[in-house]
Amino acid sequence: MKGFIIKRLMLLLPVVFGVLTLVFLLIHLIPGDPVDLMLGENARATDKEALRKELRLDEPLAEQYLHFIGGAIRGDLGMSFHSKQPVIELILQKYPETIKLTLAAMLMALIISLPIGTYSACKQYSWVDNFSMFFALFGISMPNFWLGPLLMIVFSVKLGWFPVSGNEGVFSIVLPALTLGTAMAAILSRMVRASMLDVINQEYIVTARAKGLSETDVIFKHALKNALVPVVTIVGLQFGALLAGAIITETIFSWPGVGRLLIQAINTRDYPLVQGCVLVISISYVLTNLITDIAYSYIDPRIQLR
Amino acid sequence: MFRNKLAIAGLFIIGSLIFAAIFAPYLAPFEPFEQSLRGGLKPPSLEHPLGQDKLGRDNLSRIIYGSRISVCVGLFAVSISLLIGTTIGSVAGYLGGWIDELFMRIVDIFLAFPGILLAIALTAVLGPSLHNVILAICVTGWVSYARIVRGQILTVKEREYIVAAKAIGANPLRIIMIHILPNILSPLIVEATFGMAGAILVEASLSFLGLGAQPPTPSWGSMLNEGTQFLLIAPHTTTFPGLAIMIVVLGFNFLGDGLRDTLDVTKD
Amino acid sequence: MKITYGERKGTSPGAWILFLTVFFALGLAACLTESKSDRDALVIGLESSPTNLDPRHATDANSYRLTQILFNPLFKVDSHFNPVPDIVRRWENPDQTTYIFYLRKGIYFHDGSELTSEDVKYTFDTTLDPSFKSPHIGAFEKIVSIELLNRYTIMFTLKEPFAPFLMNLAIMGIVPKHVAEKRGSNFGLQPLGTGPFKLIEFLPDEKIVLRSNPDYFKGRPMTETIVFKVVPDSTVRLLELSQGRIHLLQNDIPPDLFPFLDNRDNLKIMTKEGTTYSYLGFNLRDPVLKNKKVREAIAHSIDREAIVKYILKGLATPSSGILSPHNWAYEADVKVFNYDKAKALKLLDEAGFRDPDGDGPGVRLKLTFKTSTDHLRKRIAEVIQQQLKEVGILIDIRSHEWGTFYSDIKSGNFQLYSLSWVGITDPDVLYYIFHSSSIPPKGANRGSYLNRRVDNLIEEGRTALDVSRRKKIYSEIQKILAEDIPYVSLWYTINVVVMDKSVHGFVVYPAGDLLSLKDVWIEVK
Repeated sequence: MKGFIIKRLMLLLPVVFGVLTLVFLLIHLIPGDPVDLMLGENARATDKEALRKELRLDEPLAEQYLHFIGGAIRGDLGMSFHSKQPVIELILQKYPETIKLTLAAMLMALIISLPIGTYSACKQYSWVDNFSMFFALFGISMPNFWLGPLLMIVFSVKLGWFPVSGNEGVFSIVLPALTLGTAMAAILSRMVRASMLDVINQEYIVTARAKGLSETDVIFKHALKNALVPVVTIVGLQFGALLAGAIITETIFSWPGVGRLLIQAINTRDYPLVQGCVLVISISYVLTNLITDIAYSYIDPRIQLR
Repeated sequence: MFRNKLAIAGLFIIGSLIFAAIFAPYLAPFEPFEQSLRGGLKPPSLEHPLGQDKLGRDNLSRIIYGSRISVCVGLFAVSISLLIGTTIGSVAGYLGGWIDELFMRIVDIFLAFPGILLAIALTAVLGPSLHNVILAICVTGWVSYARIVRGQILTVKEREYIVAAKAIGANPLRIIMIHILPNILSPLIVEATFGMAGAILVEASLSFLGLGAQPPTPSWGSMLNEGTQFLLIAPHTTTFPGLAIMIVVLGFNFLGDGLRDTLDVTKD
Repeated sequence: MKITYGERKGTSPGAWILFLTVFFALGLAACLTESKSDRDALVIGLESSPTNLDPRHATDANSYRLTQILFNPLFKVDSHFNPVPDIVRRWENPDQTTYIFYLRKGIYFHDGSELTSEDVKYTFDTTLDPSFKSPHIGAFEKIVSIELLNRYTIMFTLKEPFAPFLMNLAIMGIVPKHVAEKRGSNFGLQPLGTGPFKLIEFLPDEKIVLRSNPDYFKGRPMTETIVFKVVPDSTVRLLELSQGRIHLLQNDIPPDLFPFLDNRDNLKIMTKEGTTYSYLGFNLRDPVLKNKKVREAIAHSIDREAIVKYILKGLATPSSGILSPHNWAYEADVKVFNYDKAKALKLLDEAGFRDPDGDGPGVRLKLTFKTSTDHLRKRIAEVIQQQLKEVGILIDIRSHEWGTFYSDIKSGNFQLYSLSWVGITDPDVLYYIFHSSSIPPKGANRGSYLNRRVDNLIEEGRTALDVSRRKKIYSEIQKILAEDIPYVSLWYTINVVVMDKSVHGFVVYPAGDLLSLKDVWIEVK
């Protein structure tokens, strides 16, 4: 087991390096001179030189790269151009908010999908089943930048139940979490249903029924537990999709997380901050996948550990 | 069966989309750029069935013309991704060895970026335009096609008749054409269908963030972006473009599901 | 009991759900913390964030308005654009180039120390120091020496007579020497002044929290706490206003929403004609825009009346020049460019930009147009884009976030742009905007306008102390400017303030100043 974890961590390293490299190259893809773009062509030459030096753009590429990698490992992601603060500080301030939102979205998705998926599996082909599965397809296809404003109109404007934006009080998280979690709820509903169907027809369930256990017991004590295993994996893997979706959801609801920080950084041409945000989001994603992998193999010892 | 009905519905939707895209000038009652300041934000009426946008332009016409953007972006992005993916995948699969290992690492690296993150970062850096959106989609999109092709090649490579054919010295290209291509066609078509849905969503997302189509181009995503300021008084500017996106994406999903069932493809 | 195949041991999903719930609960707990004093505060929404609250550096409108309530200048401006003493108790003008100011005693900074003439000298010394890089250096460069006569008396000597001197003093709040020295460049984020309000918290792009200064020399403010909340999205801003989470909004309101706001019975609307002048700026160094006929053609192609009527819903008045009709120096008789497409086409022909295919609106010319991300501005840009397209000029709209846009404009990185001048009072502002020595980075002559006659007139205008003579000079300047069109005058906006019915005491100023906040109070229900 430990060997498995270590092996996976080792495989992680080249990926992390690759991510770092790609992110580093981002700033060098800017067409034209980044300093010109940031300060304007008619800026004073001395100011331009100063910025060039600060961004180390006058050094050879390899040196810049090494400096970037070294800095990243130490946690130094440079200075934000717009607010003159260390990038890492800005990101760490907003990171917990994104995590809050993502977890809330996951919770929402689970709360919605578990009952629906289970019910649909148990009452297969009922109108509830068909209806839910049809709606699940809608959920997957609905862009969250449409759902968000729609929910806003109905629940914030017309009904006034929830605040429109920002992060004050408990209720502000509801609409964003719902927006972010809907797609996942849709996917999970289908998965839960499929997985439950799979499990229900297995031998041990038939055995349990034959033994005379109540239907509730059968479903909750035996079937659900096992059906949820693949679902748990999907939840972990979908975390990354949630991170990506959070970027847009945070923008719509002005939720003060890393996603909105990224968009703000883009708008202010704050390239060091853009780099930092992209890096942090990607590394989070990679780590989550790793944790999911490990957790999955832990949950299900039948899985071959390669 | 229900599944088949959905797939046919999907086909119908996609068909309508392509039809609208091609025949937009004949279908649209107004010019998409024709402003009529007097009619700004008017709700749906007989003359303008889907209402008017902030500059009095006809929503219906803009949505019809918007289909061109979606179709173009989808087609270009998916075809280019397919091309790149198939090429890289075949090379990796066929040559194997350390090249294949390298390929797997590169794939891992690209997959380390969740969803549209890389697309957002690329358009941010390259500048907002539809061309850059297509580029950005391709940069992440090629991966799934490459994996399918490589997987198939690996499976087939070891089969006896291939070994035999190679032993005889048959032309590798011929081997690819006759043995490999027919097998990868199905999963590729399915993947491409879902890919179209994905590409349209990514373009809409980027345009929504202001990183894609620029005014006055009527991309559905940028229409949604403009609509958000008028949620309070003119929700129709948001509702209809969003509905269009959703229906189109649904259509591709239906179609993809149906194709997957029909072609009996086992997803990896 | 044999464990049959399929029953696995392992972490039950129940544990997962518990785990997630705990996380969520922690998150909830974090969300529930909310400081009490914020709840009773007067909340004002801002479309963009102030950047620098040091009066020596503040240029953008939001930063400037905040410095007005955090600091006190030597003089303030009254409603007729005349200077009235603020920190100054009385003043003398022994000769045309000397001013002696007797300061009030008993004015204290927010840290308790008294304001003395030393602070005044420090404020202007640093502003004039080139290494300090104050953008307001131009307004005070006529100062030759600042002498401290005693603790409360200070003497300014000028190089030559300078008519706008007192008006210019009105923009500069006095900073405390001992604090500003210590905080250096951080003073812009941690300002400390003598104003009716003191800064508690400044989170750029998020919020600014002010608390009342109980020892303010003109009396304690009526409200304890003011929170300025930065909400860039106009829909969200308005929703928060209608839900009572924001109490007051000034300008930056989509005109289409007025019917909606009118209908809400918890809100009231105040309007007042403003001096805010919206314009289209040209980069006169650009090879194409150098040509006056091109600029005239563009001016003739814009249908301002339609924009004012349908997009601004009548909340503006078409303008003919930078000085508003209320200004004492206003000249009404200047060249105006009415909406005339045929004339525009003819002018383009004369300028050498003919129609490529001879007939109909082929593309003759391509230009880029920069604007901020403000939705209203973008919308207007699109209308102008369409109107210019009809005369064969293709416009590429580039909208950037405010900070980025503003720095592009300040550095001359543009072809066309649209913006507004806020707070035009003394006509000497023309020096700052149109004099050739004000070309960036020294001043705000962003289009690099150069006209020697105008230069001379502006210089004359500032040394002439006789009002009627100044009026004549500025009249001629306005006529020349209208001819040369370095700017296309668009309109003067009407200031609109929407507030909760429980807010009382707010006064709308022509330049959108927030000076009345001192007397504003919220009625508790």
